[in-house]
Amino acid sequence: MTPAVYGVLFVFLAPVFGGLLAGVDRRVSARMQGRIGPPLLQPFYDLGKLLQKQARQVNPVVEPLLLGHVFFMAVSGVLLLSGTDLIFIAFVFALAALFLVLAAGSVNSPYSFAGAERELVVLLASEPFFILMMAAICKVTGASTYAGVLASPQLVAVQLPGVLLAFLLVATIKLRKSPFDISTSHHPHQELVSGLTTDMSGRMLAYVELAHWYESALLCAFMVLLFNWSVPLGLLAFAIAYALEVLVDNSTSRAKWQLVLRSTWAATLVFSGGNVLALFLLSR
Amino acid sequence: MSFFSRSPWILHYDGSSCNGCDIEVLACLTPLYDVERFGVLNTGNPKHADILLVTGSVNERNIEIVENLYRQMPDPKVVVAVGACACSGGIFARAYNIQGGIDKVIPVDVYVPGCAARPESIIDGVVQGIAALEAKRKKTA
Amino acid sequence: MTSLIAFLIAFPIVVGTILLLITRASIRNPIVLVASAAIAAASVATVVTFGNGDGVFFGLPGGIVPGQALLAAEIAITALIVVIGLMNRRILAPIMAIAQLAIALFLEVTGRMPEADPQRLFWFDRLSMVMILVIGLIGTLICVNAIGYMHDYHRSNPMIKGRRNVFFSILFIFLAGMFGLVVSNYLPMMLVFWEITTVCSFLLIGYTRTPETIGYAFKALNMNLLGGLGFGLAIALLADQHLGLDFAKLMAGPASGTLLAAVALLAFAGITKSAQMPFSSWLIGAMYAPSPTSALLHSSTMVKAGVFLLLRLSPAMSGSTVGYLVTFVGLGTFLFVSLVAVTEQNTKKVLAYSTIGSLGLIVGCAGIGTPELAWVGVMIIIFHALAKGLLFLVVGTIENRLYTKDMENFDTLLSRLPRVSVLALAGIAGMFIAPFGIVVAKWAAIRAFLLVPGGQGAVMILIMAFGSSLTLFYWGKLLIKVLSMRSISDYERSIERRISRYEWFTEGALAVGVIAVTASIGLISDRVVGPYALSAFAAGPQTFLNIEPAMLVVMLAAVLFLPLLAVWASTRKFDAADFYTSGRSANASHVMGAALGGSKSVTLRNYYLEGVINGAMMFRVGTLACGAILIAMVTVGMVVR
Repeated sequence: MTPAVYGVLFVFLAPVFGGLLAGVDRRVSARMQGRIGPPLLQPFYDLGKLLQKQARQVNPVVEPLLLGHVFFMAVSGVLLLSGTDLIFIAFVFALAALFLVLAAGSVNSPYSFAGAERELVVLLASEPFFILMMAAICKVTGASTYAGVLASPQLVAVQLPGVLLAFLLVATIKLRKSPFDISTSHHPHQELVSGLTTDMSGRMLAYVELAHWYESALLCAFMVLLFNWSVPLGLLAFAIAYALEVLVDNSTSRAKWQLVLRSTWAATLVFSGGNVLALFLLSR
Repeated sequence: MSFFSRSPWILHYDGSSCNGCDIEVLACLTPLYDVERFGVLNTGNPKHADILLVTGSVNERNIEIVENLYRQMPDPKVVVAVGACACSGGIFARAYNIQGGIDKVIPVDVYVPGCAARPESIIDGVVQGIAALEAKRKKTA
Repeated sequence: MTSLIAFLIAFPIVVGTILLLITRASIRNPIVLVASAAIAAASVATVVTFGNGDGVFFGLPGGIVPGQALLAAEIAITALIVVIGLMNRRILAPIMAIAQLAIALFLEVTGRMPEADPQRLFWFDRLSMVMILVIGLIGTLICVNAIGYMHDYHRSNPMIKGRRNVFFSILFIFLAGMFGLVVSNYLPMMLVFWEITTVCSFLLIGYTRTPETIGYAFKALNMNLLGGLGFGLAIALLADQHLGLDFAKLMAGPASGTLLAAVALLAFAGITKSAQMPFSSWLIGAMYAPSPTSALLHSSTMVKAGVFLLLRLSPAMSGSTVGYLVTFVGLGTFLFVSLVAVTEQNTKKVLAYSTIGSLGLIVGCAGIGTPELAWVGVMIIIFHALAKGLLFLVVGTIENRLYTKDMENFDTLLSRLPRVSVLALAGIAGMFIAPFGIVVAKWAAIRAFLLVPGGQGAVMILIMAFGSSLTLFYWGKLLIKVLSMRSISDYERSIERRISRYEWFTEGALAVGVIAVTASIGLISDRVVGPYALSAFAAGPQTFLNIEPAMLVVMLAAVLFLPLLAVWASTRKFDAADFYTSGRSANASHVMGAALGGSKSVTLRNYYLEGVINGAMMFRVGTLACGAILIAMVTVGMVVR
């Protein structure tokens, strides 16, 4: 198969992957709390219902911005798998996330706005890591595309243990897990009401969910980059990482944004930065 | 059968109550009853909710709030009145500032009796609410 | 072509002199319009007649060498600085101006000043071509915009004495100085044009003549004269060691010995003019001047002269320690001003920090000295000039309508000034959303830094990673404010109708320019910037960016998305009060019913990261760090020879 085919497949399969992942997540979380939990396909039922429900327009720009959010999330994945430069992907990925911030900010209501600002803070916290990670992967493998990294004989994770460590931390932000889920505050938690999704109803909320499923799939694809020897190995690593995230999610309360920003930057600087520095110094 | 019956999201509002029913509503979320098994989520946000679960009666001060929350819920939506106070004003009915049950302000679809209402009957009320939700969806669709 | 370039330098001076004598707006405005159109047409004609060759050299008709004329010009500039300096009881600027003149006089009197080659006075290549277009098109649009802006400015600031004849006169002379600067090949001649831009920017910043702006004007003058002094010393060094003053010959390849020392001094001059740390404060101070001044200084002139010089020096700095240190001054500036910018609430200052940051990227690219990074540097010049020129003009227009520069007061701009918002969004999109704008430049820069050996490469990439994210944060905040909506009254709706047609035309033209340049990036890269980078470094053929057509379509969509959305949304009706406020009713003006009766108003305020990032401290730290690197750079340049 050509890389372009993988790109097209991503558009259709990533939501399935992301939705199932969310379903597993909710069941595992329920078991951790001594409950049985919803059916595995619950996220899809929720999405279907949201699409059937009335969507209240708070203003005319929210829906286009959310569509832009979904579109650029999907495009990030398509570009990634179809062989666009990895460092460029990091920028498109950030752009996609920014559209959600803009949608929530444009509502101009107290809860949405607070959520949007916090999302901007977590974007600021996580973005340096993704740029660094992509640069480090390119440096280690000498490749610049997804296929190129997978074809590399080097096992990236061995060369980049610091980056892997920081990835686990930063993924907490991107997977919207406590203690770093300060901008949406997912159910069953209700501080900030629902953060940046507070004023999004019906299909608006469905777009946010869909985009998040693409985002989860993208993170999984990033993990495969780190364990580039084989895709199953990468998937396994992602599964273990995700299980850890769920455990952390269920056993911590949310942090303040100051702590999120400081800790993420510190991890990025110390673990990833140190790793990259060592890489450059040793590769003379 | 649509997705509504599999994914009823709830907004819980407490009017003038003794908090007995509220405790029971929360009990429904605990491992013993675990309503999430049926896809029920407690959203805390009218814009995400399908079912407005009201405990307690309506008084002069919260009429505006109840109306506002109901208005902000997107269609289709149903209201479930939980407990004696929400149904009719209960033991507070004769108090000086009490208007009476929730149906004085917004249309109620399901009445769940009890003081306090038992978790089983609350869940049963929600299930009946789901049926009402389905009926409303069919009407609008 | 040679006569066109002579026209571009001489004509604005003539226009500027005429405008100085005209105090009536009804006569001045047509002159400004016609002269701007003529300059713009001449700059396009210059480029068209140049065709697409590598550099050409030429002199004045009849082989005239401007030796004495240059000295006369330098004496005149010095005299002007001394007079104005003493009138304002400032001593530092006159001293530096006289010191610089003394160097020139000493060289002249002792006969050490090498004569210019009459056939190589001017140097015109693709970089000059880009600069000519930037100055000729964007610069003149700013002049036209100033007609509308200054009219409103003086109406809303009645205390400030109107001297619009002086203002427009300086604008045109400034353009002449820039045109001369970017085509000079004989270094003393370039220095004269360099000083013309310094003096012009000094006069523009101090235009309002309040104690505050006079202070900032002298700050700008002092810092730029210090840079000019470095330039003068470089000339003296080259003259003393008989290396000649032919810029193109000197900068043909990696420098060493005395030449490297001269390069370090010239780089010092470039760093002052491009407002890199520790010299950033003069450009921030320039924000207190009328907005066309800011637009001109930030987009097409002044600071661009600094990075233009550094890009010219780039082949000479290639691979040297001096080059690396220049890169770290640029990247350090990029990082620290971005840290400051996230804590800043004044929109014009945020734009100023963003300018300094973008220039820092160009400086960083120039210092390494590879074709790829020279390509990046020129690309940023193009995108930045367009987008930032547009943004400053738009912010000026907003300021004259809403009487505020505070980012927090820009909220619901999309409802209040819908068409202005479209322009603002085009500017912001061009500045940072445009994946082919600054983002492509950052991407290409990181790619190139990956190849830098040793620890410095890792540090460069770390700076890029954090700096880029910080820019995302402050642009995101501005976008949130601009994109938010509410219901507005008929009075508010009428505000936008009072914007002059000069402003609509110029800002519209720049917005179209942003999108056109984004769409034609492949062409610009293949035809102009790519060949420039290859010929400047005498490198073999290579492609710089592999831009697939599908990618281009997707990315153009990204740039057009927000402006088009704004066009569409501004005409739609909606219920602005329908947001969740815990069951309380709120109205569209953000007034909520309070718990015990009465009402409370809701204020939504952006995060400025108080408690995590201290902007003032970051500015000081950056100034110290970059200052130390700069001193190291000059020292290494002088000692290593």
